[in-house]
Amino acid sequence: MSQTTDTVTDDGPAPAGSSTPPARRTRSAKDSNRLHRTEHRWALLFVAAPVVGFLTFTLYPILFALYASFTSWNGLGPMRFIGLDNYAALLQDEYFHQSLFNTLFYMIGIPIGLVLSLLLALALNRRIVGRTAFRTIYYVPVISSLAAIAIVWQFAYNGDFGLVNQVLAWFGIDGPDWLQNTATVKPALIILAVWKGLGFSMLLYLAAVQSVPQSLYEAASLDGANAFQKFRTITVPMVRPVTFFLVITNIIAGAQIFTEINIMTPTGGPEFSSASVVWYIVRKAFQYQQMGYATAMAIVLGLLVMIVTVIQFRLNRRNSFSID
Amino acid sequence: MRKSRLTIAAVSGAAVSALLLSACGQSAAGSSDELTFMFRGGADEKAAYQAAIDRFTEETGVTVKMTVTDADQYATKLQAAVAGNKVPDVFYIEQANLQSYVASGVLMDITDAVAEQGVDLDNIWEYGVNSYRFDGELQGTPDGALYGLPKDIGPFSFGYNKTMLEEAGIDLPDPDVPLTWDEFVDISSELTTDTDGDGTVDQWGTGLNVQWNLQSMVWSNGGDWTNEDRTQVTVDTPEFTEALQAFADLTNVHDVTPSASDAATLDTYQRWMAGEIGFFPVGPWDVSTYNELDFDYDLIPWPSLGGDESATWIGSLGIGVSATTNNPDAAVELATYLSTDPEAQQTLVDANIQIPNLVDVAEEWASEEGAQPANRREFLDIAQDYGRAMPAAFTYGAEWYDELWINIQPVIDGKQTAADYLAEVQPKMQALLDKSHQDAEQARAGS
Repeated sequence: MSQTTDTVTDDGPAPAGSSTPPARRTRSAKDSNRLHRTEHRWALLFVAAPVVGFLTFTLYPILFALYASFTSWNGLGPMRFIGLDNYAALLQDEYFHQSLFNTLFYMIGIPIGLVLSLLLALALNRRIVGRTAFRTIYYVPVISSLAAIAIVWQFAYNGDFGLVNQVLAWFGIDGPDWLQNTATVKPALIILAVWKGLGFSMLLYLAAVQSVPQSLYEAASLDGANAFQKFRTITVPMVRPVTFFLVITNIIAGAQIFTEINIMTPTGGPEFSSASVVWYIVRKAFQYQQMGYATAMAIVLGLLVMIVTVIQFRLNRRNSFSID
Repeated sequence: MRKSRLTIAAVSGAAVSALLLSACGQSAAGSSDELTFMFRGGADEKAAYQAAIDRFTEETGVTVKMTVTDADQYATKLQAAVAGNKVPDVFYIEQANLQSYVASGVLMDITDAVAEQGVDLDNIWEYGVNSYRFDGELQGTPDGALYGLPKDIGPFSFGYNKTMLEEAGIDLPDPDVPLTWDEFVDISSELTTDTDGDGTVDQWGTGLNVQWNLQSMVWSNGGDWTNEDRTQVTVDTPEFTEALQAFADLTNVHDVTPSASDAATLDTYQRWMAGEIGFFPVGPWDVSTYNELDFDYDLIPWPSLGGDESATWIGSLGIGVSATTNNPDAAVELATYLSTDPEAQQTLVDANIQIPNLVDVAEEWASEEGAQPANRREFLDIAQDYGRAMPAAFTYGAEWYDELWINIQPVIDGKQTAADYLAEVQPKMQALLDKSHQDAEQARAGS
């Protein structure tokens, strides 16, 4: 402490040629400096916690993974550096291509989910009886364990005894064996994902819809706009930040879809038709002990997600607007 | 002011050090009179092992901490434990992963230690013990070093619905002579009928899952997945092709199984249990469930496709000891307890989920009066006589083997011939097998 004080005092004398204001400035600088330095130390300590966390749990694993992706490694023994071989093999690996395609296919569920949840938010924004109950009901899947949900839906999709086919049978439709069929397994998983995510998106949309200033709607009404016009030109643009947020987070989460696939189709589905990239990564890493190769796939997936996200931020910047 | 700062400092300091601590991870210290045992399985197994472990603790004074996982999480958790240098002292090991764990120095060579324990290895199923022998080149050979003891062996047997055959007035199959393929198909056709006269077939001769039942057909037809030294994939040979085609023909030519769209495992399994299917495979782990069914069933040798010999596979899971354990003697002793302790074995056998590991106990068990199924000796015949290891049990990893199943469905559905498909898949399997040999070499060079 005394050290600090001395230093500040040394700085004290005003430079020659300057008049009173500098002296005043020095005086205040002396105080703020002292305060500043101690505060600064504390600040550093606080900053250190997340930084240390970031370094040990994010940066170090990323760099380690990057290196591992250039090696042949079984996850247990020594690593052998093989350069870009893993990445070259990825280009030839038809199962990787198939799993990428499957993962992309699952993202069809994102726009469907967003449209449904926006409509749902609008519906539940009205004064209808039991709307709190409805809001709760739609939110229940969000807080339920995904593993439990996957098992329940697996039963529901069973070709012979499943709830889905029983309901279809009421309408005289002979439902397929959903999870055993290359044509239906992906749509089946999309339906599950949409259902599971509906509540969360709905909640965010509900908040966004409620924060749209009423004056805009009133003004539009005065101009003779009908309900659909108001929806299209006021509601949709006003909730765009939420849409943007949901699209980004859904794509990032969708790129990592794994749990429901692993539980409902443990072998990657008929003819590999449900396997996602992460499912394939896990299989390669832990079942076949090809940790190096699996890490290379993880890096490629990470890069793809990053590229898509950057593009979206660019697009969004172009579309952004503000109201004074 | 000062006080609150101190508090803040303490809290943030604690937070940072907690982060650092968890980042570094704890070193695998562990005192020498406590062992860790990691396994997977259900309540029956846990109860049986608890009894064995209690006695082990009583006799040696060494306590044991058990970690149980779900079957499908076990591999991941074990690998994580290995990566974190916290290998359990004793743990389950799969046949197909043995070589990589040996090469990585995770598994201890327990050949001498087991001999010192006075374990009579000749009284444990030879196949079970040999599964965990590895001579540095080949696994499963009788003179390799021992890296584990069998937790159990699982002879995959074949059964029939006795009640159904009797009702249909069909002579019951001989428990000692395998059915020829034609006999099997004939009986199956006879059983496949519409029992309630509503115009749809509701009883079938059989309904087999290709992944677990093709082995028997291929082997009894003289084919195999690889050559003797496991370097060449031989799935495109005529013997193999014929077997796969015969399998598919059960559904598409002879119509003795539920239709292709209903052929998923769960469904034929359910139908068998509902008494709608005549012939179905039976593993020791099925017996507790099947004994509760509404009909009588019994075991017979597998029908033989090519000649008059049966063939089928035997599964196994092993118990290995960590190479880095602090207490090797006690760890090996625990492994032998779990594998051979008579009372633990009895508990598992009574639960009807496995056959006894000890040959003499098994003999006694098989000749018990009033046993159900009556011919449970068939399990022992498989273990001693005609059972084989799964094709990928002794290779370095099973990826090459799994490749066969991924796109096989069109063949089962009759949309592609076995010959076409096998010609297509053989090069892919060969490439993966070659790669596994390279990986094995790399792992060996690194150790």
